[in-house]
Amino acid sequence: MRNLLNFLIRFNNLIIFLILEGIAFYLLATGNSYHNTRAVNGIRGLTHGIEERINNTRNYLNLRQINENLAAENIALRNSIEHLIKEENSLFFSVYDTTYKQQYQHTSAEVIENSINRQKNFFTINKGKRQGISIDMAVTSFNGVAGVIVGCSDNYSVAMSLLNLDFKLSARLKSNGYFGSLTWDGRDYLHAVLGEIPQHISVNVGDTIETTGYSAIFPEGIMVGTVSNFEKRGGDFYKITVSLVTDFKAVHFVDIIGNLEKTEQLGLEKPFK
Amino acid sequence: MINLILRFGLFFILLIVLQVLLFNNIQFSGYVNPYIYIMFVLLLPVEIPSWLLLLLSFVMGLILDFFSGSPGMHSSATVLTGFVRPFILRVISPRDGYEARSEPSMMAYGFRWFLIYTVLIVLVHHTALFYIEVFRFADFFRTMLRVLLSSLFTVTFILLIEFYRRGR
Repeated sequence: MRNLLNFLIRFNNLIIFLILEGIAFYLLATGNSYHNTRAVNGIRGLTHGIEERINNTRNYLNLRQINENLAAENIALRNSIEHLIKEENSLFFSVYDTTYKQQYQHTSAEVIENSINRQKNFFTINKGKRQGISIDMAVTSFNGVAGVIVGCSDNYSVAMSLLNLDFKLSARLKSNGYFGSLTWDGRDYLHAVLGEIPQHISVNVGDTIETTGYSAIFPEGIMVGTVSNFEKRGGDFYKITVSLVTDFKAVHFVDIIGNLEKTEQLGLEKPFK
Repeated sequence: MINLILRFGLFFILLIVLQVLLFNNIQFSGYVNPYIYIMFVLLLPVEIPSWLLLLLSFVMGLILDFFSGSPGMHSSATVLTGFVRPFILRVISPRDGYEARSEPSMMAYGFRWFLIYTVLIVLVHHTALFYIEVFRFADFFRTMLRVLLSSLFTVTFILLIEFYRRGR
């Protein structure tokens, strides 16, 4: 007993160190599930308040750019509507089309906290469960891929940015439809890497990369970026560097896309995976 | 004693505010992320009981984690720094040892000593932090570069703050 006590006294620092380090690594390992625990939500609420204020100031300073972006998006939307109206007038159009069903639902939100300088970047948006946001929804910014929702509280959500080493996206070359997996290599916020494209495919600098829609998170055909460089590395695949279309340094407003048929698709695929 | 607690309490809050509002927003190429909050662990009195040092380091890291949404990342790095600090202090102790009730500051032990001390502590902290952040040894040397560049900036900022404190 006395030996034990002596031992404890002698190594008490080491023991405290190991306990605290254990707690820290436990938090690290359980990752972002901490968003769901209540005690932490209170503290997050407090920090959100502060972050929202900082963001308000920042947005004020960036108003000119935000306006330009919104105007550009308005023009793009107006053009697409124009296209639809023309189609509606020129073709027979059945009003009661039972095969037609809305598949994607869009919600707009504001980014209140964002980072690009870490290896695992996340951003926070000002909408949550009460506004219909749930985990695994897609986040886009001006029609470019931005991230995926990974945690929701009542009024806020956290999204994993594309600029995260754990982010994986199924993407394809628009020109020929060959798909691969897009990841971020942690180097800089302007580029990502597309892998798994076989070398017999012809790739050109400037080719558009878009989402495939295979994962039931992102709709098909959302732009990711353009090919800025490609090289043949030993093995069978290209290493394609993609210059991203989304400017993560200036992401202010995002579009959150929920797939209404996700459960159906995943439920069907489940037995085969 | 009360005075000391008050002073370090204020310093604690000031460093968190600086880090969260200012330094976390320096988004310069992803290679330069100064984490100056480690200055708190740096400046705690020499004779502080090590359990308290560990606990305070942990709390500091935890608060930073809440603000940057990275559970466990900062806390594990700061706890390690708090654990290593007594060893570093012992290794680089001045010739006559440390004075009673002193703080390891530039005022007490001079620029050269403080520079060595800061560089060592910051290197330990940043190495732990950046490698825990990526959590893999792929791109080992790039992470090393991030550690070195960020440490350079952190040390510079800590020295500036320390000079300001001395000047006053």
